[in-house]
Order: sequence, then C-alpha cells, then structure tokens
Amino acid sequence: MFSEQAAPTAQGLLAPPSAEPPTFPRVPVSGYSDCSQHFQLGERSFSRQYAHIYAVRLAGMRPGLEQRARSRWGNDIALRKLSELQAGEKCCVVGTLFKAMQLQPSILQEISEEHNLVPQPPLPKYIQPSDELILEDELQRIKLEGAIDVQRLVTGTILAVYGSEQDDGRFLVEDHCFADLPPPLPWNGPSSDRFVLLASGLGLGSVSGEALLSTQLLVDVVTGQLGAEGEQSCAAHITRVILAGNLLSQNTQSRDTINKAKYLTKKTQAASVEAVKMLDEILLQLCSSVPVDVMPGEFDPTNYTLPQQPLHRCMLPLASAYATLRLVTNPYQANLDGVRFLGTSGQNISDIFKYSSMDDYLEILEWTLLAGHISPTAPDTLGCYPFYKSDPFILTECPHVYFCGNAPHFQSKLFQGKEGQRVLLVTVPDFSATQTACLVNLRDLTCQPITFSGFGADSED
Amino acid sequence: VTYKWLSYTLGVHVNQAKQMLYDYVERKRKENSGAQLHVTYLVAGNLLQNGHVCHKVAVVREDKLEAMKSKLSTIASVHVYSIQKALLKDSSPLYNTDYDIVKTNLQHCSKFSAIRCAAAVPRTPPDAPRAPAASQGPQRQREPDTAGAVNGHGPPAAKPSPQQHKGIMGMFAAKAASRPQDTHKEAKAEAKAEAKEAPGVSAASSKPPTKNNIMNNFFGKAAMNKLKVSSVPEQPKEEKEVVKPSAAVAEPEPSPNTVAEKAGKKTESARIQQKDKKSKTKRVDRSDDEEERDPENVKKKRKRIKQLQSDSSDEEDVPPSPTPEEERAPSPPPVPALKTELEPASTEVSAGGRKRKRKRVLKSKMFIDEEEGCMGKTG
Repeated sequence: MFSEQAAPTAQGLLAPPSAEPPTFPRVPVSGYSDCSQHFQLGERSFSRQYAHIYAVRLAGMRPGLEQRARSRWGNDIALRKLSELQAGEKCCVVGTLFKAMQLQPSILQEISEEHNLVPQPPLPKYIQPSDELILEDELQRIKLEGAIDVQRLVTGTILAVYGSEQDDGRFLVEDHCFADLPPPLPWNGPSSDRFVLLASGLGLGSVSGEALLSTQLLVDVVTGQLGAEGEQSCAAHITRVILAGNLLSQNTQSRDTINKAKYLTKKTQAASVEAVKMLDEILLQLCSSVPVDVMPGEFDPTNYTLPQQPLHRCMLPLASAYATLRLVTNPYQANLDGVRFLGTSGQNISDIFKYSSMDDYLEILEWTLLAGHISPTAPDTLGCYPFYKSDPFILTECPHVYFCGNAPHFQSKLFQGKEGQRVLLVTVPDFSATQTACLVNLRDLTCQPITFSGFGADSED
Repeated sequence: VTYKWLSYTLGVHVNQAKQMLYDYVERKRKENSGAQLHVTYLVAGNLLQNGHVCHKVAVVREDKLEAMKSKLSTIASVHVYSIQKALLKDSSPLYNTDYDIVKTNLQHCSKFSAIRCAAAVPRTPPDAPRAPAASQGPQRQREPDTAGAVNGHGPPAAKPSPQQHKGIMGMFAAKAASRPQDTHKEAKAEAKAEAKEAPGVSAASSKPPTKNNIMNNFFGKAAMNKLKVSSVPEQPKEEKEVVKPSAAVAEPEPSPNTVAEKAGKKTESARIQQKDKKSKTKRVDRSDDEEERDPENVKKKRKRIKQLQSDSSDEEDVPPSPTPEEERAPSPPPVPALKTELEPASTEVSAGGRKRKRKRVLKSKMFIDEEEGCMGKTG
C-alpha cells in the first residue's frame, strides 16, 4: 500500500538537481483522545493485599460470564456458587482459575531453609504435565478435571465451567467458556489512507550497534528525509508513531556496579544514562515532524509493576519541548482518528507464554481478547499494582487495533467477532533484533511490516 | 558524504541534495578522471517475505543495487544515499556521519525534510519564567562551560548574570541547607532553586576541582583588576557546595528553567543574606561588579532601581512583593540584568572601599574552601 503509490516517481531522484523540490505537509491529526486514564495511578499505596484484585475481577466479570453461559448452554441452566454445589448435579460455576505448577518460581521455596535450594534459573516455560487446575470463587476452591486443557490456561483467568461435582470432590468439566469479546465500538475510521507506525524494542544502549543505522533509517523515513518524492508523500500520511516499550536495551539493566566496591564504581555512570540521551535525540528528530506516543517497557526507567506509568519528561529535556511528544502508560488505550487502539509493551503476553503451552504470540493475543482480560496472570506472576476498587485490565470495550510489543516476529490478523467486532491483532516485533516496524492503515485496518537494513561486511541483503 | 550531510551543510532540501549527489556522480564518471567513486543507494520497495508483503528499505552498495532491485516486486524509490572514495566495508561510517551532522543541528532537524508538520512546534512553557527554556536550553548548557573556562573575559552581560545568579543561589542554597529555621517559603524556594540549579550546575561542576584551585591560585597572585576573576572562583566553589547538598535534594528538574525565578529568589535571598556579614559583602560586591559592566540600560531598570534604592536603604526584612513582580517579568535577559542592577545601585557607593575587604574575605574563604576541598578529597 505504501509502495504502489510511490512507484511512478521512484527513479525521480536519479537526476540532476531540479527546481525547488516539494515539501509535503504532514496529515494533521484530526481526532486524538487519550483513553488510558484508568491506567494512570495517582497516589499509590502498597499496603493492601492482592486478594482484592481477584475479588473485584471476579465481581466485574461475573455478570458478563453468566450471560455468556446462559446463551451458550441454555437459559435454564443452574448457576451455582461453589458453596452451593451438590454432588452429581449439572450446573455452571463462574470462578477464577488457579494453576498449581510445580516449576513455578516460588519465593517461599527459595527462602525455605529445609529445602536449602539454589534459586531456580529462569526457564522459557514453566509448564509441566503434572500441573493442576483449580477453580476458586469468593469462598471456596475445587479441583477441575475433564474436558479442559490444563496446559493452555493460566492462573487468573475468569471463566465459566459447566459440569458436575464428583463424589471425590473434584469437578468434572464438560465444557467451559470465557467472557468472549466485549461489545463492539462504532467505527469512525478515516476515509483516506492514514497510517500509524508501531515500533517497539528500539533497544538503545545495547553493546552492539547494528540496529542503530536501521533506527536512523526508520526516523528518516518517518520524517520524510529518505526516499523519493512518492515515498515521501506517502510518509506524510503517517499520522502517529507509537513506540511500544523497551526503548532501552536489556544491557542497560546490568547492576554489576552494586556488587563492586564503591571506590571502583565512583566514576561510572549507569548505562541507561547514555541510552536515554540517545533516545532523547532520536525522539527530538521524530517529534519535530510527527506526533509520537512513547510507552515504557520492561527495561525502561519507570516502575516495574503494571500498569507502568509514563516516563518522566525530565529525562527527555530536548524532546519534551515539543507538544507532539506524548508519554503514556504501558497498557495504552487511545482513539486515533476514530479508531480505538489498545496495546501493551508485551510483558503480559510473554508472561502468559511462560506459563501456558501456547507458543504463538498472536495466538496468545487473541486468547487474551477472548478471555476478556489484558493480563490475567497479573498479580500472580507478573507485577501489578494492588487494585481494590476495580480491575482496569478487564476489557470493557472492544478495540479496533489490539497490539503487543516486543514479540519475536511480526504477525497480524484481522479477527472477526460474533457481534460484528473487527479487531486487528498485531504483534509488533522487537526492532533491535528484527529491524522491523509495523505500519497500520487506519482506513481499512491492514498492517504492513516495514524492514530496514544497511549492509555489513558479509551480508548479502 | 551522505545526502543528509550535504543537505545540512549546504542548507538545501534533502531531495535536492540527493539529486546533487547523483549529478556529481554522473559528471565525474563521464569525465573519467580516474578517481574511483563508490556510491551507495537507498532502495525501497515491496518484498514478499514469509507470506506477506513487506516493505523494505535498504541501503545497498552500488554493486548490489541491481540484485536488490530484482528482489523487490515493486520499487518505491531509489536514490543516492552517499558517495565516498573508499569502498565501505559496512554501513557504520554512514551512520556516524549522519549522527554527527544531526547532533550538531538538533534544534532544526526537520528544516530540510520533505515533510512539514504543523503541530510540531516547541511548546511555550506554562509559566513566564520558563519562557527561555526551549530557546535558551542549548545556550544555557554551554554557559557553564564558557564561564568556567574563561578568566577575565567579558561575555555579554546577560550570560554571566544568570551564571552569577546561579552561583549566588547556590551559595544561598548551601546556607539554607545548614539553617533549617528559614521560613517555609524561603526553604522551598531554595530547595527549588537549588534543585533547578543542580543539573545546570552539575554540568559545570564536571569541570574538575583542579580548575577551582587554579582559579584560586591565580586570584591569590594576581591583582584584582577584573571582576570575573573573583566571580569565577566563587562559582566553582559554589557549584561544589551546591553539588554536595544537591545530593540530598530530590530529583532535580532539568536545567532549562526559570532564570527569572532564580533571579527573583536571588534578590530575595540576597537581601536576607545581607544579614550574614561574611558572605554578604562578597556576594553583593560580586553582583555589584557585574552590574558595573552591564551595558544594558532599560528604562524599566531605572524605575526599579529607584524603588529598590528606597527599599534597600532599610536592608532589613525582604519584602516579598517585589520578587513576585520581578518573577512575572516577561523576558529573562532584561530581568536578570535588572535584578543584578538592583544590588549595585544600592551598594555602589561602598564598592570601592569594599574591594580591599573583599580581597581579604575572599582569601580567607578560599582558604576554607581549599580546606574543604582537601577534606573532601580525603573523606
């Protein structure tokens, strides 16, 4: 889509200097509104227990799930709480799932003295055949077995199971269902081609500088310096750039200096300082030409727990002077030109990846959409703020574009829901590894990857 | 030579730069002058990869150009990226050139681009004191360096005055840290000023302490002919002092902040400082000296001087009202100059007589400072 328009004037710049070359005005932002207020934490107090978040999650999703259960298994099924269960009676129970995993890193095991174990090294996946599923509601819990895929599900999912209680106290599941997609939002998309560039994992501050030229090429394409006239006019249609996390690389996270003696490390600076300066320069170049939304990621200097708060603007003094820079929270939701975007920097998806048998990031993304919750593993294995009033990760409105950053490679799919929802699922690849970013066309909800490369000593690209 | 470098150096549109490069290559090749030119091209287009159409943008060497073009199903653009005499092994020199040229032109990096964004304007900061932030940002960062490096040099008045203000604020802030019974407002103001100074100052304090000592020695030896000499050694001193307490202060705000605010606070603090005899004479004198060299003469200043002359004759409690007025002054350069003029106006008379005293006071201060410095080193 990008290229076809540009093709005619492709070779235009292979010519002697011509008259005053055209400048293209950037397509103005017509409708932007930030909808991620509920991800912003005002005053934070960590004195509360995490049990509240499960309670509000269940309370919040219960009505929707009961409705789904009725529509799926009939209007006359019995909806029971666990305390009201009778043996042998077919009924439907709504509750929170808990997966008991042997390999799950547990802090209690680590500090337990009788075990005296070395802390477990991080594994890519913690699933094991001996994992068990337990359903919990407000008061009780019960083991699940039957037609339910133990390996696939993760802790924290709210679901409805249909089956009956056995004599030995387990629940035999015949069928289960999730909250499914939330009701659709009206479509107000633009009528002409508008693009949004999604990129994540810029990985600045890493030891290797291979991705730096690609990053510069990305900035050049977006700001319109690269490419022939046709391509530049196409680039003028990019209305926004969203940087979905991991702007700094993992290398900046090394905390060796803590272990060394103070007199050795007095003059050393954290690697992230240089990286943030570089980020500031890159953002300045971008901001002077296009509105940018910056989301923090796993390795960025902000809080660790979800929802991650925006990066502080004093870290980016040069770029903050521009009104086009927006620093936003980690799960980020916004209306761009009538299209609802929702996305994260990938921590939720990669956490589910570790505790579930699902391997494909796109599949996991779709599954979270079906489960109606952005990150079900949130307080259990992924750091989260102890919410107690409401769980902001529950999907209440169906976004038009749902993305996650820092995926291993690019994937996208247009998902059609039962009630006419159309969601574009995009897994944005890690730029420092793949040098690929995504261009989403807002008009027809399509996505195209865009790759950058230089040439190395022996590369054939 | 990349197209971007050419564009910034010659001040032309990027497309023109690309065309110029192409033209040059063609002409040189036609001339057959023997000098081998190696050209890299930028190719962009559609490529079928992994089952979906991917838009690829690549920098390729000339010999790989045709291969790349054939790989792409649709070519969106081709143009010259750079020209060099030697064959490049990889693209890092290109990146370095581009990085350097962009770094030197950061403030207007979109000037020669093909896309203009109407929304991208540096935002005018919310409160008046921050008005200089965007424009003065880079200048301010360069100020500490010039002030520190120069001895006896007379840069424009506006620049040194913020510097001096910072120094004065630093001194006061250091004092405030040791005197907790300051009024709440002042303490807050100091902390704020201190915090704001810290980043700007810490940039300058990166000048090693040796400079401080050099300045001190020079001052001790040479006669006091230029005021800068006195002011400069005090500055690194103050910076040092500021750096120490700033460690205790919360995360400092960025340096492009509130010259006027500081200046406002400074007058307030300066007046309060007048209670403190030791530092008072020196500080006031220092600002005096600045003022004497201040060439600017705004009508406003005269008015204010008159006002303050009447005020400063009391030299008692600082009336907070003038300072907010001053803070609201629209543009910073007149304001700091204005404020610095306030001091000298009041103490001009005693300036000459105090000069000798100042020498002595300063020397002793230097001594203490060196002691401090030594102690700091061993501690």
